[in-house]
Amino acid sequence: MIATLQWGTLIICSVALLLRVPDAVQGRNRMVFGILVLATLCSLLSVPGPYEAIDAALGGWNLTHLVLRILVFAAVLLVGLRIARGLADQRGYRLIAGPAGRWALALSCAAVAGAFALMDTRGSSVGLLGIADNGGHNAVLAPFYAAAGRTYPAFVSLALLPALLATARSQLPRLVRAGAVLTSLGAVAAVLGLPASFAPDSWIPAQVTVNNLAVLGYVLGLCLFWVSGLVANKSGNARATFRKNKG
Amino acid sequence: MPLPAKAFQLWLHQVAPSASTADICRISGIKRTTLAQQLVRGKVAESTLVSISRALDLSPLAALASFDQYGELATRQQPPSAAELVSQIATMDLLRAVISRSSPAYGGYGDNGSSMTPDLTPAPHATSVRNWVDAIDDGELRHRVSAATGVAPQNYSAQLTANRLSPELAVATARAAGVGFTGGLVATGLITEEEAGWPPGAKQTALDALSDGELTALAGERLQALGKSLRRQEQEQAQTEKIWENLG
Repeated sequence: MIATLQWGTLIICSVALLLRVPDAVQGRNRMVFGILVLATLCSLLSVPGPYEAIDAALGGWNLTHLVLRILVFAAVLLVGLRIARGLADQRGYRLIAGPAGRWALALSCAAVAGAFALMDTRGSSVGLLGIADNGGHNAVLAPFYAAAGRTYPAFVSLALLPALLATARSQLPRLVRAGAVLTSLGAVAAVLGLPASFAPDSWIPAQVTVNNLAVLGYVLGLCLFWVSGLVANKSGNARATFRKNKG
Repeated sequence: MPLPAKAFQLWLHQVAPSASTADICRISGIKRTTLAQQLVRGKVAESTLVSISRALDLSPLAALASFDQYGELATRQQPPSAAELVSQIATMDLLRAVISRSSPAYGGYGDNGSSMTPDLTPAPHATSVRNWVDAIDDGELRHRVSAATGVAPQNYSAQLTANRLSPELAVATARAAGVGFTGGLVATGLITEEEAGWPPGAKQTALDALSDGELTALAGERLQALGKSLRRQEQEQAQTEKIWENLG
């Protein structure tokens, strides 16, 4: 079940990425393409097979997981700035790009790196699930490391949520509103990921689900915004036609 | 509720016993897949019936009235009131009338028929549905319609804002207001004024009967509503474009 979810997320991210290739080649909104590249990389590193292969190349002490956290921060920062600007959300933009956002990013990075350094991280293990058995501080530090990695995404998602919900309830075209709904689902999942880090081991499936839902919500939301731009909306009464070969 | 497919096929068999479905679609300009889909679903749109009656040179109104749920159309034929007629005059025509009355381009007061004041454009116009309901509304009309049909007031308002009203609701609205049934069908564009049996110059006569004060106040209201809706559209368009520019 967890493997299906992880592979499913990876496949959806890759499909979204491939769909955006033509636009990126033409130079249209390369930033969104970059966000999707990061999201695809992140979901790739969340799947056991690729993770173990890459981590083996990096020395087998889970440095890949630290890289993954940094990639997630980068993706979240870019998507946050882009969505805040797209929705003309001044407050959200200031929160993310301003001092509060910079401090949140710096502290999250420091906390993640610090917790990582204090742990004994030998032995490749996706999501660092296996290293608690290495003894020492690991069992205590692992939840804090996980929580540190979720803090910044939760912060950005909270900053975006008001504007996303307002867009979802607006009179804009339906697909745009649907995109906002999906993105806000992703944001809610990203916020829930923070408390979920401290859940007991038996909750791991729920944690993985929440984290993947966050990625899926953001990626599918971005896709819907894109699709809505491709489809023009039209409405009106069903007009009756007039006789064609009259006279 | 659209027309039941069974009754529709019975009607079609009566009015065009020898015509195949393909013939009907060809002369009426309805896509074959559209008609087939409506028949399979068991619900034929009123606009389909109107198109076919036009193609067969039948009166769309009489064709509609031959169905049970539109039976009232034949029983109570009431001409449109002056307010209903004026509501079906396009805003730009009203403004043209204001200008023509106060400073005629040429031809003197009224200045009808010149190139500066062309004939009134046929209904429906861009806000004809809402203007029609406003013209017959005594303040409680929307509540009565929603109580009679079970359609939520906000859904009803949403249809008016979109300049849309299902034929069934248009008839229900006319019934609740106690006016003729053709007004709503013309305002929604289902049938033309001529097909509704409105006399050719009826709208012009109703317009001419307005005093300068009434006409100017009415044109002002329309202009204000138009400005409001244009501003909202522009805002939404700008918002949507910003989203597409940054995220699309």
